[in-house]
Amino acid sequence: MLNIFDGAMGTILQSAGILKTGACPEILNLNNTAAIIDVHKQYISAGSTIIETNTFGASSLKLSHYNLADKVREINIAGVKNAKAAAQGRCKVAGSMGPIGRFIDPLGDISFDEVYKAYFEQAHALIEGGADYLLIETCIDLQEMRAALLAVKDASPAIPVICQMSYSEDARTVTGTDPQTAAITLEAMGADIIGANCSTGPEELLPIVKILADNCRCPISVQPNAGMPHLIGGQTVFPMTPDDMGSWAPKLVEAGASFVGGCCGTTPAHIAAIKNAIADQSDPIRKSPLKRLALTSRTKTIFIGADLPTKLIGERINPTGRKKLAAEIKTGSFISVKKEAVEQTNAGADILDVNMGVGGIDQSIAMEKAIKEISQIVPTPLSIDTSDPKALEAGLKAYPGRALINSVSAEPDRLKYFLPLAKRYGAAVLCLPLSDKGLPKTGNERIAILKKIITAAKKFGLHDNDFILDCLVMTIAADKTAAVEVLTALSLYRSEFGYPSTMGLSNISFGLPNRPLINSTFFAMCLAVGLDAPIINPYDHLMKNTLLAASALNGKDSNGQKYSLYASDQAVDKPASIIEITDENIIEAIKQSIITGEKENIAGLVERALKNGHSSNEITENALTAAMNIVGKNFGAKKIFLPQVMLSAEAMREAFLKIKEILPAQLAKSKGTVVIATVKGDIHDLGKNIVSALLENNGFKLIDLGKDVDNEKIVRAAIENDADIVGLCSLMTTTMTQIDAVIASLKEAGSTAQVIVGGAVLTQEYADSAGADAYAADGVVAVEIAKNLTNKRKNDSFPQ
Amino acid sequence: MPIYNPPLRTVDIKETRRYAGLSAADFSEQAIIAACNEMVYLAEPRGSWEMYNYDNIKGIVSASVPFRLQGSKILKHLSHSEKVILLSVTAGSNIETAIEKNFHEGSYTHGLLLDAAATAAVEQVADGLEKNIDISIKPLGYKRIWRFSPGYGDWDISCQPHMLRLTNASAIGIEYTSSMMLTPRKSVTAIIGLVPETDPFTPQRPSCATCPQKNCSSRIQ
Repeated sequence: MLNIFDGAMGTILQSAGILKTGACPEILNLNNTAAIIDVHKQYISAGSTIIETNTFGASSLKLSHYNLADKVREINIAGVKNAKAAAQGRCKVAGSMGPIGRFIDPLGDISFDEVYKAYFEQAHALIEGGADYLLIETCIDLQEMRAALLAVKDASPAIPVICQMSYSEDARTVTGTDPQTAAITLEAMGADIIGANCSTGPEELLPIVKILADNCRCPISVQPNAGMPHLIGGQTVFPMTPDDMGSWAPKLVEAGASFVGGCCGTTPAHIAAIKNAIADQSDPIRKSPLKRLALTSRTKTIFIGADLPTKLIGERINPTGRKKLAAEIKTGSFISVKKEAVEQTNAGADILDVNMGVGGIDQSIAMEKAIKEISQIVPTPLSIDTSDPKALEAGLKAYPGRALINSVSAEPDRLKYFLPLAKRYGAAVLCLPLSDKGLPKTGNERIAILKKIITAAKKFGLHDNDFILDCLVMTIAADKTAAVEVLTALSLYRSEFGYPSTMGLSNISFGLPNRPLINSTFFAMCLAVGLDAPIINPYDHLMKNTLLAASALNGKDSNGQKYSLYASDQAVDKPASIIEITDENIIEAIKQSIITGEKENIAGLVERALKNGHSSNEITENALTAAMNIVGKNFGAKKIFLPQVMLSAEAMREAFLKIKEILPAQLAKSKGTVVIATVKGDIHDLGKNIVSALLENNGFKLIDLGKDVDNEKIVRAAIENDADIVGLCSLMTTTMTQIDAVIASLKEAGSTAQVIVGGAVLTQEYADSAGADAYAADGVVAVEIAKNLTNKRKNDSFPQ
Repeated sequence: MPIYNPPLRTVDIKETRRYAGLSAADFSEQAIIAACNEMVYLAEPRGSWEMYNYDNIKGIVSASVPFRLQGSKILKHLSHSEKVILLSVTAGSNIETAIEKNFHEGSYTHGLLLDAAATAAVEQVADGLEKNIDISIKPLGYKRIWRFSPGYGDWDISCQPHMLRLTNASAIGIEYTSSMMLTPRKSVTAIIGLVPETDPFTPQRPSCATCPQKNCSSRIQ
């Protein structure tokens, strides 16, 4: 049976002058019950079979804007009572729950638990009032929807709950969730009806309804706006007429909707038009979604199955045996964790395993933090890898999607604590054939243990598309049948269960030499008999190459297209060096390497030149300085740009370091001492850092005082170090007057240093007026000026 | 005030190239991509905003303590706006440490490219916040015009304390120095005018061609 929702409530109350601008709409449930009941009646007369309570914003978090947070129960119960009074048994009542108006951490500043609590309180009151359904609507963040859905399920496991998200014109919610991802995630968490409302009109919601219908088994609901709004004469106007709206209703039903209604801008007339338009239609004919394991993030769904390309589970977010990563996690820093997430994703990982197994920390805190940080920066679905149920729950709660739990064995505690969490948070389960009776030896023993896990899981409400089966790989050094039994198990998994399979492979070669060869060979064998989602290091080229070749061979890479693309790219010869470096041309080769910024080669070239009798002076003057002169000219002529100059500076640095290493005495003297600083009040130091780097690698001794430096500190450093040059940098008009002050102080203190100034807002005129000796428009010019100024002051012999 | 921390999953390579002054240069794409990828895990995007009524005759933002805008260009820019959004965004302070570390270790180019990627990142954070703001303004029948920041044209940066106060920017860790700079350094405040959808007024974003900073390395030729 098709169900007809009602339409907008607030706009009707506003146009009747009942609801004043800026007033709380929900308080009318208590203060003006007649008006609310009247609107409900209008919709019932128009044909609504389900009406929504006037409680969209009646959570404590929303009511607190009107200082009504203490009236949640009263307002929600009254909302249901009003609807029931209007309905008189003629239609059902859905308790409306709108968004709380804030984002859950880390997208926003409110915790999952606070949001859950607010929804729970509201849901509880709506159920107490007697609502037939609870309707979570207009939600733009999947994580908020998850909190609300959990709250409703906890308030009453029996009440049917409708989950409607709001999609923008790009067919995603504002926080990036697509309808496929929403359907899969919410169905797994136990939503009864899944849908879309608000934001756009029926035309835009039509394809969304279709995607929702194709990706879940739940009934689909849809409540579009009456088109996109315009502001006319200070009034928000929705352009779609009732007839226009009605004309879309049959299409929405054909696409899969069995609950149809309206949102902003719709009126009883719109609902009547919808009712008439679908009067002769019956429930949509839906095709059942494929039985496949799906995992989701907030913005992406991936499927794992025998008919699909192999999916890689990246194993690198795991501190086991990685001291640096473990130490970082222990201190609460997650930069390396995030780095692994980004780099594994870029390396082709489809799922990321997250393990926070660091001794001496609260793993649940680390897991929550890791899951939040990772899910903000990569769209890759996550696998939560822990043996600690508290850490598992913290991770599942924080994850805005459908995660994989790694892992559930047949050990009693795992079954008891992990499976209810999988059901509650809609996660998939990696089943590990391990029991309290020990390790299985044969494929059949693995099957027996897995059956126990799956039977228990189904008792907790999990379904066939919630499982992936691990093969539990043992080492062949200890058991010669270990590999064969895994291959047997893979075949049996397909025939006995039909669920996808996974494994961590590297254990197979433990204790053997040349482990990569064993691992990759075993990998190919497993792929041939049905391994669907290996847990591997995505940076391992041999394994990735094996996968490419195996996919071409087993038909998962059609006609070997991906393989060809990759392999032909590999076959391209790297360009050979244009000239052969000899003892005669090595100075020129060093010079060219500096000009092109090839720092990888430079140390070797310098070492070779020194060994072959070239003096450090010859290298410095004829190669390094000569090269930097050309770099400077090219920069001045805009043939090259700053990053290219910096590459040359890096190569210079490598050259100087090598000379210093081989002949430490040769670089004892510098071209001059430079004290450099960004002036007081200015926190920009990129330009100053560039000038420092260039001066240092042109033979100057640098005393870099940093940014936001007190005048006195600059003067003191100049005097104490007998500076030849003081470099001052200011980026903003608000700080450039500090340059005048520093120069005056330097003179007053008797410093003889030459002052060079620079920075975005400075000009030659300003430098002159401040009493500077020179103005440098950029770092390259600064080096030239510094050389000229110091040459005037003294004839240094750098390097001898 | 609403807080929204837009996820930053990629950093715009083209914009990073431009901010690094490399628009016209033949420079390793890989090096730029590496900086952009690194920025994804170094950045800590945060955003905070608020909508206010705006008196476009007097140039006053109707906050509890009214905020008068000063500068002919900003006033002209907002001349059709009935409401305004004030926003603050930051890419966080982790990136400062990373840039300094690179310079200290002699990886000057990567440090420079990270700085450029961070500039691209903070603009993307502001873009992400704008997209989020659309859900609040579209049902009201407004469209937004391009965001205008203190320091553009003749709108003096001395207004930063007001911008931060009216966006509750301390909640996302942004502060200002006595010289009106924002910390963390890769932070931005801006005002966005809201014009009725039906008003054809759409001010043109000024191009590099009209900017007096002729030597700016980010200038689009």
